[in-house]
Amino acid sequence: MIKLNGLRKIYGNTVKAVDNLNLVIPDGEIFGFLGPNGAGKTTTIKLIAGILNASSGSIQVNGLDIEEDALAAKKQIGFVPDNPNMFLRLKGMEYLNFMADMYDVSAEERKSRIENLAQRFDMRDVLLDRIQSYSHGMRQKIVIMGVLVHNPSVWVLDEPMTGLDPRSSFQLKEMMREHADSGNTVFFSTHVLDVAEKVCDRVAIINKGKLAFCGTLEEMKEHFKQNTSLENMFLELTEK
Amino acid sequence: MKNKIILLTKTLIRNGDGLSLKGSSGFAKAAIIATFAILLPMIMIGISALVINLANALKPLGQEGIILNLGISICAAMIFVFGIFYIISTFYFSSDVENLLPLPLKPRQIVGAKFLVVTIYEYLTTAVLYLPLWLSYGIVTGSGFLYYLYGLIVFLLLPITPLAAASLIIMVIMRFTNLSKYKDAVKVIGAMLGVFLGVGINILVQSFGEGMTQEQIADLMQKGENSLAGLASGIFPTTRWGAEAMISFGELSGLFNILIYIGFSILVYMVLLWLGELLYLRGVVGMSETGSSRKKNSSFMLEKEVEQSSVVSSYFLVELKLLFRTPIYFVNCVMINFLWPIFLLLPFVIEQESRSMLQKIIPMVNNPDIVGTILIASFSLAFFLGGTNGTASTSISREGQELYIKKYLPVSYRQQLTAKVLSGFVLGVSGIIVFVACAVFLLKLSLWTAFLIILTAWLPILLTSLTGLLIDLYNPKLNWDNEQKAVKQNVNLLYNMLIGLLFAGVTWILLPFSSNLILTVIILLAVYGLLCVLLVKALFTLGVNQFGQLEV
Repeated sequence: MIKLNGLRKIYGNTVKAVDNLNLVIPDGEIFGFLGPNGAGKTTTIKLIAGILNASSGSIQVNGLDIEEDALAAKKQIGFVPDNPNMFLRLKGMEYLNFMADMYDVSAEERKSRIENLAQRFDMRDVLLDRIQSYSHGMRQKIVIMGVLVHNPSVWVLDEPMTGLDPRSSFQLKEMMREHADSGNTVFFSTHVLDVAEKVCDRVAIINKGKLAFCGTLEEMKEHFKQNTSLENMFLELTEK
Repeated sequence: MKNKIILLTKTLIRNGDGLSLKGSSGFAKAAIIATFAILLPMIMIGISALVINLANALKPLGQEGIILNLGISICAAMIFVFGIFYIISTFYFSSDVENLLPLPLKPRQIVGAKFLVVTIYEYLTTAVLYLPLWLSYGIVTGSGFLYYLYGLIVFLLLPITPLAAASLIIMVIMRFTNLSKYKDAVKVIGAMLGVFLGVGINILVQSFGEGMTQEQIADLMQKGENSLAGLASGIFPTTRWGAEAMISFGELSGLFNILIYIGFSILVYMVLLWLGELLYLRGVVGMSETGSSRKKNSSFMLEKEVEQSSVVSSYFLVELKLLFRTPIYFVNCVMINFLWPIFLLLPFVIEQESRSMLQKIIPMVNNPDIVGTILIASFSLAFFLGGTNGTASTSISREGQELYIKKYLPVSYRQQLTAKVLSGFVLGVSGIIVFVACAVFLLKLSLWTAFLIILTAWLPILLTSLTGLLIDLYNPKLNWDNEQKAVKQNVNLLYNMLIGLLFAGVTWILLPFSSNLILTVIILLAVYGLLCVLLVKALFTLGVNQFGQLEV
């Protein structure tokens, strides 16, 4: 479960990147986080992952405060950043071992998880190559594998589908569903409204740091009193 | 066509980042400029003095022309050696290649422009050698206006032939092999070669012409001309024409030689463009695909690859791997630790004068009465080595925009900073051990003294690693697009070097105690040990807090 309480992030005393955000994402839910470029999606996600410090307000992950109880809270999270270019000079396997070490995953556990993930993402043959030699999509996959190797209960994914081929994208969506269905939380941002429409149990739309809407697609349609596409509703909600 | 080559050359130079000081802080800029302002004139004055001495010695024999022949040939040889690496990185490894290929440019236009860019870079390196040679020779021989004009033409066209040779070699190699796999290795070898060439020239200049008779000098020059320079002028005939033109500037043969020189250089450039059209594209396409085996690895056993380590040791090992595998980090953080023995001890082996000095030093360092002094000296030296090692003082900056990764890992900042100090400390101490081993081997330092040095000298390394990391925490350079900027243009390295130098000096206060060896050891360990404890405390409170505040 993720709980955002009066969350604010102000850059340089003036720019309100995130403004008084209140959200509760319960267990068992895939939650889509939508918004135009520069709306504050990535900032919110970085706040949840503990990368940025909030200006005010609080974040709880499975009941653990991300600032007060930082390490324990971070262990609950599997975070996939929007840019998969990291540790390029490490080999895929070295990166996975590093991530598993950081999250205290035993040798036995990591072996079976890596085996499983490598199978699903078709990455087995390239694990001994340097990440530098991977394509964008393969880099995205190795980052996702590194995140899932510690089997986190809360997934926080920033634009996770970017660059994935249809098969891997399908795999990831399926894994997100499985994960939520077994009582965990999936929180992800996307630009692709189709994906949000098909995968999410609930969505939030954020615009200029403020929450413009939060609820199921049915609730949104109810809100607009019309049977229109998510795209149209999105455009209306985020109009300047 | 010509227009496009020149246009492209201008764009490439403006886009280049190797030379610009943009983005450095005011202090860093001043420091870099000051270093060059002191160092370059020193080298150039040294070369001028050498040229003047040689010219005065050879004039009575009527042989002074050899100096120009030899000097210009050495320049050409230097351009060729550096050129190999300049060419390979500008023609093939540069990131702009990917952006140029889709443009409607002919290969010969890209090659032509990139060649000119390298030529301009070469002017900067060659000028250090050529300017003093050209000017002081002219002054000593009282040459006239035409000499200086010819000299200028020779300078401007000098890089063309050796660079064309280097380009041809590289283009053929790249056409038929796939060196891109070894991109990083090539960069490191290039940097190492640069360092060794630097040391070599330094030793050569130092050992040249001191206490020799005229005949010996003439003899040596003749030999030099026959060997190294002869080889260069054999390969690059233009150097001889250029030198001849300058020597006989007043005669018709001078004019004749300079015309041949100009004509041949232009011809070489044209031939290069033609060869570029044939060879370049086939070698450069696919460069950006970094090598990977991509073969089905049936022998890949997951069990063997899975290994569990503690958080700190795993973090530390990844730091080391990145330091070793990123060429620019390897050169500035790893290699530098092991270069000092070469810089400081190698002259003893090569130079004759120093070798005889060595014979006097050996009994000295083994005199039991001065072991304490040696200890203080090595302690002080260790501060210097620790300060010049950029591992800790750039460890936050090296993270750059990826620093956020370290923020979401469930690893305490204290543990992360510990691993960072450790990487600087381990590399520094390895450097000390190599240094001591060289001293044992060359200076016949006793094992007991060696042991005492290692027993104490780790403290300066730890101390400078701690100060370096603290400085970098408070003033990290995180906005860079090129790894070079994180290390080479990082003022924190300079600050830490100053701290190292300060401590290196302060340590000599202990000299009065040096007659009592045990007391010296105890004081060194106690005083600096206490300082390290305080710095560790500072790192774990202030430093950890500061790390938490850093946001990208």
